[in-house]
Amino acid sequence: MRTLKTSEAAAVLNVSPNTLRAWERRFGYPKPQRTAGKHRLYTHGEVAALRDALQEGLSISSAISRARESLSSDTSTLIGALQAFELDRADAAMEAALALRSVERSVEEVLLPSIREIGERHGFDSAPWAFAARWATDWLQRAQRMAPPPMRPAAVLVGDATRDDLDPDALALKALQLFAVRSGARVLVLPITGVAGLTEVLGAFAPQVVVIAGAHASDDDVARWAYRVRAASGALPMTLYRRGGRADAARTTARILPDSAGEAHRLVLDILDGRPRGVAAPAEDEIAQPDDRRQVKAS
Amino acid sequence: MIERPRLVALPGHGERSRPDVHFCGHCGRRPQSTDIQPASRVCSRCGLGLLVSAPPDAAPSPQDPFLLVDGQLSICGVSRLAEQLLLTSETDVVNSHIGDLLVPADVEIGGPESLVNLIVHAARGPGETHHVVLRPAKEYGIRFWARIAPCGPPRAALVVLADGRA
Repeated sequence: MRTLKTSEAAAVLNVSPNTLRAWERRFGYPKPQRTAGKHRLYTHGEVAALRDALQEGLSISSAISRARESLSSDTSTLIGALQAFELDRADAAMEAALALRSVERSVEEVLLPSIREIGERHGFDSAPWAFAARWATDWLQRAQRMAPPPMRPAAVLVGDATRDDLDPDALALKALQLFAVRSGARVLVLPITGVAGLTEVLGAFAPQVVVIAGAHASDDDVARWAYRVRAASGALPMTLYRRGGRADAARTTARILPDSAGEAHRLVLDILDGRPRGVAAPAEDEIAQPDDRRQVKAS
Repeated sequence: MIERPRLVALPGHGERSRPDVHFCGHCGRRPQSTDIQPASRVCSRCGLGLLVSAPPDAAPSPQDPFLLVDGQLSICGVSRLAEQLLLTSETDVVNSHIGDLLVPADVEIGGPESLVNLIVHAARGPGETHHVVLRPAKEYGIRFWARIAPCGPPRAALVVLADGRA
C-alpha cells in the first residue's frame, strides 16, 4: 500500500496541509493512519480518488461522497468474482483493496461485507455461501501467516462457540484473530466443547484476556468451559463476541464486544493495556502497526 | 428553389457581455486571485468549499445563504450560512433530494413541480435567473425568497435564499 505524508498528499490535492487537516476534522476524509511518531500517513488511493472527484464535484462533501463510492467498487468486484466462482479474480480484488487500504480496513470494508452480501443473496446454507466463506477463511489464514511474530507480551484466549467454518460468526472471529495477531498479540483459539486437558494448555499459554465468540454453543457449554478457564488461570477479564441474544440473556459480568471485528479488537487491546472502562479507544489507524512497534522498541 | 433550413441566433442569446464570477460554495467569498480560472478549485480563504461560477447578477454575496443542486435534484452543496439558516449540515444532506430540505411555499396547492422545473431548467436549460418563494420542507411559517440560476462546473442550479425580495 503506497502512503503519502501530509505535505505530499496536500501537494497531490493542490491544497495546504492545514486544509487537509480541516477536511479530516469536518468530513472524516481522507482518513490518515499514524506513524509511531504520530505523523499522518495517507493512502495514495484515497487521495487520488479525492483528487479526481474534486475535478467533477460542486462541493468538498459531494466530492468526498464520490471518492468513497469509487473506493467501494472493490466490494462489487469481489462479490462479482465470488459469484462467478473465480478464485483468482477474488484474490485480485483483495489485492486491489490492499493497494488503497490497510489489511484491517480491507477486511472490514471489503472482504466481510462482500461475503455477508453473498450469504444474504443466496442464503447462509447455500453452495455459493460455502464457496465464498471457504475462500474468505483461506484468505484470512494466508494473511495471518504473513503477520510478523508476536511483539507484545499479550495473550488472548478465544473460546470458539461457532458451529463450524461456515457459521457466519466464524469469519468475524477469524478477522478478530487476524487483527489481534497483526497487533503483535499471541492468540490461541480452542473449541468451547473441549475441556479435557485445558489446565495444561492454559498453564503453558498464560492468557490475559478471554474472548468467547459465537452463538452456536449452549450457555451450559460456555459456562462449563469458562469455569475451567477460571480454575486454571484465575479471574481473567472475560468478553463475549457475537453471542447474539445469548449475551443479553446471560447473567454475567463479561464484557460484550461490538459486532465489528475492528471495534472488538480495539476493545480487547484496551483491556490488555489496562485502559479503564469507558475510555475511548484510539481509532483503528491510530493503532501502531507491528512494523511501527518494532521501530518504537528499537529507538 | 427551396431554401434550406438554417439555424438563426435569437436576439439576446449568445450575447452575454459580462463573464461569470467565481465564488466559494462554502463561504460564498470570491477567490483572492483576479484570475478568471483559479489554479485550484478549493477556496484558498476557507479551504472548505470548491470554487463555482455563476452569472454576476445571480452569484451570491458572502452574506447570502445558498445551495447547489444538480439536474437530478440532488443537493450537492450547502453554504455555511445556509447550514445555519436551515439548521442542517452539508455532510448530512449532500446527495439528498432537494424536496427533503426545501419546498415551494405553496406546495400544498401547486405541488413541488414549480421548484423542480426551475431547478432542472437552471441545471440543464439555457439558464435564466428565476425567483420563487420557498419554505423549509418540515417547517411552517417561514418563507425564503429564492433566486434560482445556473452555476458550475459541473452544470447545476444555484439556489440563493433571502428573507425578502431583492
